[in-house]
Amino acid sequence: MIRCDEVTKKFRKNGSEVTSLDRFSAEVVEGEFVAVHGPSGSGKTTLLLTLGGMQRPSAGTVQFGGRNLYALSPADRARLRSSEIGFVFQMFHLVPYLDLLGNVLLAAPGKKLGQAQRQRAAALLDELGLAKRATHRPGELSAGERQRLAVARALLNRPKLILADEPTGNLDPENAAEVIRHLAEFHRAGGTVVLVTHGSAADTQADRILRLEQGRLLAN
Amino acid sequence: MSIWSHIFREIGFRKINALFSLLGLTLAVTVVVASQLLAEADERETRRVTRDMGFNLRLIPAETDLGQFYRDGFSRHAMDSAMLDRLATHLTNNVSFNHLVGSLRREYTINGQDILLVGLSETYVVPGQGKKSMGFDIKKNTIHIGSEIARMQEKKRDDTMHVGVRQFTVANDPIETGTPDDITIFARLEDAQAVLGLAGKINEIEAIDCLCLTADQDPLAILRKEIGGILPEVQVVQKRTLADARAKQRQTREKVNQFVLPSVMVASVVWVALLAVLNVRDRRQEIGVLRALGKGGGRIAGLFLGKAALLGLAAATVGAVLGTWAVLEFGPSLFPVTKKAIQANPTLAWQLVVATPVFAAFASFIPAMLAVSHDPAETLRED
Ligand SMILES: Nc1ncnc2c1ncn2[C@@H]1O[C@H](COP(=O)(O)OP(=O)(O)OP(=O)(O)O)[C@@H](O)[C@H]1O
Ligand SMILES: [Mg+2]
Repeated sequence: MIRCDEVTKKFRKNGSEVTSLDRFSAEVVEGEFVAVHGPSGSGKTTLLLTLGGMQRPSAGTVQFGGRNLYALSPADRARLRSSEIGFVFQMFHLVPYLDLLGNVLLAAPGKKLGQAQRQRAAALLDELGLAKRATHRPGELSAGERQRLAVARALLNRPKLILADEPTGNLDPENAAEVIRHLAEFHRAGGTVVLVTHGSAADTQADRILRLEQGRLLAN
Repeated sequence: MSIWSHIFREIGFRKINALFSLLGLTLAVTVVVASQLLAEADERETRRVTRDMGFNLRLIPAETDLGQFYRDGFSRHAMDSAMLDRLATHLTNNVSFNHLVGSLRREYTINGQDILLVGLSETYVVPGQGKKSMGFDIKKNTIHIGSEIARMQEKKRDDTMHVGVRQFTVANDPIETGTPDDITIFARLEDAQAVLGLAGKINEIEAIDCLCLTADQDPLAILRKEIGGILPEVQVVQKRTLADARAKQRQTREKVNQFVLPSVMVASVVWVALLAVLNVRDRRQEIGVLRALGKGGGRIAGLFLGKAALLGLAAATVGAVLGTWAVLEFGPSLFPVTKKAIQANPTLAWQLVVATPVFAAFASFIPAMLAVSHDPAETLRED
């Protein structure tokens, strides 16, 4: 489903160079749940953004479903993100002025919202235990509720792949388990998950665990 | 979600930012509307004042001795009234004079009282201008008499009065003016010609120069050249005080257009752009999220340009109403003579309603491009 070949990402800041990803190669097959572990600064977020077509690598290629992701036009890459990839971030990244339903529907592609999309959004809120809060704004939610909202948003377009960046980093164990449970459900239904974390909350659900250190993949 | 409901909700959430943009644009529209309406009122005011004071161009027979002319107030020479018709055929928007009236002015004696008898032709204006005739309209078989004549001859409105062998009706309520008008009889040109035995003759063409000359041109030289080209038989005299009042008024208007309006525009562009930049900064995370969700640059630019256009529309509506109201409310005390002529300008209002959203979007263009070119990876890794 997604494959990295010798992916390197370097940042140049104030003359000094930082290598966040160092010749990273790995493949995730469709239907897999992969957890990526690594200490802070090891390049986990960089990896996820690169996999999601949000950050062009300095060298190497990323293939998504057989297509070279960064050879696509920006518009094609955006379309691909919209239809096949869902993101969940540690900081939720919700839109503060839209209500819960609006935040979920923001993921809908195109200009006009169909009735089917509205129904799906409402069903997702229900599934994630947020139905009663549909007209509230994210600011009125607890951290756990916010992350569940982000999961609902990621699920709206029935993506093939969910990229989750420390989705439990700001949550207490109970809420963390709840979010992992929803990701696992998505996985059970055939979805692919790449989850990066420096904790071990998802280890029991993961098919495979990769370890990153200083941008390099450690051999198991 | 439709882009407009998205924009509306954002405006509702960040009220202060939107409010400041709205205030800036509304103020700008208000100033534009008010200054335009006041300039128009000012122009009407001056035109009206100078109209009351009379014509400022006097065309008299070339052979007239100016000493005699100023001493007596009229030329003792005469010219054919056909010259008036000839000049009138040259009235277009391209010449610097307008409002032609032919007159025949002579001293006369009624029952031993020395008076002035003035015959006035109809007024010729540039075709299609539809301006009201200047001076007064004298009806057939009527005359307008000065207050001193009314007193000495014991005449009032609707009385009949003989001038020479002809009989007229007094058409006005004689009012003392403190000018030679108090000892003047105004009659139709043909009537005065008949009474004076000068059929087909006039001794002056009165006119008004137009407001179209710029400050660096010598109006009198231009007028003499234009009129001399048509009627070499006349000399042109200009009453400078009136001409200068008009020129000053015209320059005021130009100053408003050249200085006030550009300043207002520049200031509001900067203001709107600045607020849009702040708004873009506030929304960096949102921009990153929209990118992660697969939204294109068009949608992101549209959020900012659409917001600007929406605020521009609201500001234009409020500003047009506010500016018009202010001028209608306070204008009359500033321009007492023309207070009835102070009026709204719906054309200007419509133009602003169309132009302000475009203008606001233009001011937000660079901030919108900033938003589009934002690297979403940067903001998405931020906490
Ligand atoms: N835009 C950037 N400019 C410069 N350096 C960057 C940039 N983005 C990331 N880095 C550097 O790349 C390295 C990897 O960063 P990354 O955010 O991927 O780490 P991480 O594993 O996600 O860390 P954490 O667990 O703290 O989130 C870090 O040293 C970071 O400082
Ligand atoms: Mg990270």
